[in-house]
Amino acid sequence: MRREIHFRLNGEAVSAQVAPHESLVEVLQESFGLYGARESCGQGLCGCCTVLVNGRAVSGCLYLATLAEGFEIQTIENGKELDAVQQAFIETGGLQCGFCTPGFVLMTRQLLDEHPDPDDDTIRHYLSGNLCRCAAYPEIIEAVKLAARTRRKA
Amino acid sequence: MKRATQSTETPQIGRSVPRLESWLKVTGRAEYVHNLRLPGMLYGRIFRSTVAHGRIKRVDVAAAQAVPGVYRVITSKEVREIVPEPYYGPAFHDQPILAIDKVRHVGEPVAVVLASDPHVAEEAVHLVTAEYEELPAVYDEVEAMSSKAIVHDALKPAGTFPDLKHLKGRTNTNVALDFHLRRGNPETAFKGAHRVFEHRFRTQQVMHTPLEPLVSVAESTESSLTIHTASQSPSFVRIEVARLLGWPENRIRVRVPFLGGGFGAKLYIKLEALVSVLSLLTKRPVKISLTMEEQFFTITKHASTFRIKSGVSQDGRIVARECEVWWNGGAYADIGPRVTQKSGFTAPGPYDIEHVAIDSYALYTNLPPAGALRGFGIPQLVWAYEGHTDMMARELGIDPIEFRRKNLLRDGRPQATGTVMRDAAIEKVLERLEVLMDWKSRHDKGTGTIKKGRGIAIGFKACVSPTTSLAAVNVNADGSCIVYCSTADMGQGSDTAMAQIAGEVLHLAAESVTVVHSDTDVTPYDMATLGSRSLFHMGNAVKLAAEDALKKLNQLRSELQLPADCPVPDIFKKKYGMQAGNVIGTGSYIPTYKSPDANGLTDNATPFWMVGGSGVELEVDTETGRVRVTRLVNVADVGTPINPRIVETQLSGAAIMQLGFTLHEKMEFDAQGQLRNASLAEYKIPGLLDLPEIITNEAVVAEQRTGPFGGKGVGETGTFGVSPAIANAIHDAVGVRLTELPLKPEDVWEKLR
Amino acid sequence: MAPFELAEPASLAEAVSLLDLEGARPLSGGTALMLMMKAGVLRPARLVSLRRLGLDRIEANGSLQIGAMTSLRSLERSETVRKGWPVIARALRTLSNVRVRNVATVGGALAHADPHMDLPPLLAALGARVTVEGSNGRRTLPVEDLYAGYLENTLRKELITRVEIPAMGKRRAAYLKCTTRSADNWPAVGVAVVLGDEDRIFVSAATDRPTRLADEAAIADLKIEGDLHGSADYKKHLLRVYLRRAIDEARNAVH
Repeated sequence: MRREIHFRLNGEAVSAQVAPHESLVEVLQESFGLYGARESCGQGLCGCCTVLVNGRAVSGCLYLATLAEGFEIQTIENGKELDAVQQAFIETGGLQCGFCTPGFVLMTRQLLDEHPDPDDDTIRHYLSGNLCRCAAYPEIIEAVKLAARTRRKA
Repeated sequence: MKRATQSTETPQIGRSVPRLESWLKVTGRAEYVHNLRLPGMLYGRIFRSTVAHGRIKRVDVAAAQAVPGVYRVITSKEVREIVPEPYYGPAFHDQPILAIDKVRHVGEPVAVVLASDPHVAEEAVHLVTAEYEELPAVYDEVEAMSSKAIVHDALKPAGTFPDLKHLKGRTNTNVALDFHLRRGNPETAFKGAHRVFEHRFRTQQVMHTPLEPLVSVAESTESSLTIHTASQSPSFVRIEVARLLGWPENRIRVRVPFLGGGFGAKLYIKLEALVSVLSLLTKRPVKISLTMEEQFFTITKHASTFRIKSGVSQDGRIVARECEVWWNGGAYADIGPRVTQKSGFTAPGPYDIEHVAIDSYALYTNLPPAGALRGFGIPQLVWAYEGHTDMMARELGIDPIEFRRKNLLRDGRPQATGTVMRDAAIEKVLERLEVLMDWKSRHDKGTGTIKKGRGIAIGFKACVSPTTSLAAVNVNADGSCIVYCSTADMGQGSDTAMAQIAGEVLHLAAESVTVVHSDTDVTPYDMATLGSRSLFHMGNAVKLAAEDALKKLNQLRSELQLPADCPVPDIFKKKYGMQAGNVIGTGSYIPTYKSPDANGLTDNATPFWMVGGSGVELEVDTETGRVRVTRLVNVADVGTPINPRIVETQLSGAAIMQLGFTLHEKMEFDAQGQLRNASLAEYKIPGLLDLPEIITNEAVVAEQRTGPFGGKGVGETGTFGVSPAIANAIHDAVGVRLTELPLKPEDVWEKLR
Repeated sequence: MAPFELAEPASLAEAVSLLDLEGARPLSGGTALMLMMKAGVLRPARLVSLRRLGLDRIEANGSLQIGAMTSLRSLERSETVRKGWPVIARALRTLSNVRVRNVATVGGALAHADPHMDLPPLLAALGARVTVEGSNGRRTLPVEDLYAGYLENTLRKELITRVEIPAMGKRRAAYLKCTTRSADNWPAVGVAVVLGDEDRIFVSAATDRPTRLADEAAIADLKIEGDLHGSADYKKHLLRVYLRRAIDEARNAVH
């Protein structure tokens, strides 16, 4: 039984027809052509499917789309200019194949919102639920610290 | 998007240019086949074998077919309507598109359910049933040598490889290929040795788990086929699908955007033949996108057993070495025979040994197939020979680095095959490792229950040969440049490297060069993106193509009587009356090579060597056996780094991946060949919390004189020494010697009890 | 995933009556449930979402009262919890990952009955009690009584509505777990120790449910099976080591 849901997506009021069993990632891809959030491990462990729901990061592959009714959804595609986090990832080379990158960027923004000057331990724990098989981890840690410095200057 | 100024006198080689596609990747807009949707597309979900070895008695698809929304259910019967002999593989044509008569491993594809809604297809797959007459199965590679359980009734070597021809039709064996090398007189040398050491090492089956799981899409007309696929070998896909269909190559187009990781999983034929046949059967686009779990049943890394024996003289020189290696190839050969042979000949290690015997066997077993995985057999070999080296050094009372130094293979000396070493900075890598590890100082072994240790290991790899790369470089009338090559960028930065090389020749900023992704209608033949070959082979081809374009531009200048420094747009204006047109340069590169003789010997085995060493400092919690790597040092010979930053990240990325294979990862099978941990919840790959506190990566100063601007490959080098360095460090810390991967805390604890 | 109906009741009474229907399961954070449904292990015909029931408040007046629908992340970040029950905030730091904690709830974590989870042994050791509601009314029970076995709870179509944790007082607590492969993994063993007038020790992960221990000697009698995390022998050994370490840590804890 499909039903129509209404929510805000990257700042815009939208609607979509969804079946109860469809995940947020599926609906974002099918109905809105947004592919930055991707299902990879399918178990909420890798972070490739990261989406923000009411400002908090969730695993989109485990989030039923129908529960997004009335909520504020944000994806990696939100925003016109590259922010400090995205610039930092480019500069330090904190990406290789790029499949996990959107998830890392979104989680890093959350991390820096909560901890503007994180130490190594805080970074590793906060991002422990984001996997990178290319193992760009050292460069990612550098990117987080660079973004933190840039944000503090602004 | 901002573009850098086009022409420049700044050298492009040696610049740490950020990956050209960075903007696309940080904004989530990079194209992956994972995202591809086409109008009218059907999703395929695969029904898989639940037994490890059995004759197929019945496959019942009626219930699945009856589910509303299911378009069709396909078995090998329908496949054979399109392809009567549907067997593929790079070395052996032994793998059926869908199982025929037999299944040979748990998870083997038997049928496909097609539906426009993937959830419907998924639900319907559960309704397909099959009945098997179970056959005895074999899982261990050494057992497979003599087991009565025979996986393939007869061997089917692909005709294209002359060195496999003699195997055709061989029956009653699980040995797909055996490689032998004999140099000097090992038997006699052992008899005369002062000491003889023999050890046995084992490695486990693991999986690449690229985060973009394998995926392919095919769309067709009655006379053409387009395959969109996450593949490292688009040219091979085209050739092989053309062969299967009996079509000319120009009717098949293979397109590859970015790969969400590859590591060797996305090679040769994986899903491409299947989606092609399905599209031709249904006359609709068909997509098969594997789940993370399904990847474990598709392609993996060879488990191995390596018996290594060395004879050492009184003064600590290794005079003879005997290597017997069994490679667990799983149910289908894939590229296993190449691993057995091309990595097999480096089994004695980077050591100067006069008398050598190598016997390397590719075995069929009833496990999911093994193929290429970053390192291509080298990490398994280094695991053995570097553990063996340390064990001998300790026994002889010689410092491990000193012992290696005594025996190291240096430039100008012959390797086991007889090929004389050139541009292989093995000694430099060892020296730098010694310095970076501060090896000469005594180190604190820890008091209390936490013991500390350190270890090093060094390995090398011969680049696979002979292989071909072709490239084209297009200079537009405005002076901008496009590079066409079939190298697949899977995160290793190949697009960026090729842009830097073309830019260097044409005096253009790398950022201003467009690199067109693999599209076999457009990009010329490339053997494949594997084995760290692309920087060298495709880099050379791109360099030649850019030089050819430059030559053509200069010829035009001369013909049109224009000055030597005349800007490109003016050439075209004069030639064509307007600023329009192209000059296209082409380049083709294949290194020289000599096939090994009957003794496995050749004086030209490889166009270049990769050399990599690792040093490790770690702590062992003696109460629990848990190991914590505190420092990881990776040193490599990569020739001249084309992009130093990317080189660093490739060394570190490879080493961290190998860390996972060393400490955490193992495909666990039960006695019936069922995989117990086919998901990232149960198969644990490294995360941020597993990272050593300190990681150092260094490329020694070196040059590959035959490489483009002195460069060569680096993608795998960081994998070589990690595992044995860790085992050596554990031994240093607590005197426990582990010879089997992965290194589990329980195993350390067991030995400490 | 098999299709299902989704209900979002606005009152506890409505939720309870919906749960009485055939094939109905409660949906809190959904993380564990979604995993099982995607794997085909669970195929409920009907999911009853609990998110409109207003069960997400944290209150402290002596004891800590946590609404069952409180997210783990809210719990982790609550000043009240950090000050009054810091062992809980510490344990949550390594509980799965931030995204899961943003969505998973305390009630869900307790009801799921996976012995590898962190909260059940810790809350049991802290002497926590849960309030549950069903068609037969309301009752309270100690956390440890929620478990019948692996993934088996003792609820009879009931919902956990609240968890109450006594004030720490002079009690000192620690929770330790040990993973034998990568760091972000289900643990091989978990040990929760609360030292006070009465010492309460609960072990988990190696056992099929959080199990109270009288002392170290009792480890020998535990029913433990070997699996991918380790052999039974090794797990028992780890329990002894981590019990000792947890007791040491508790002794040195501020709370």
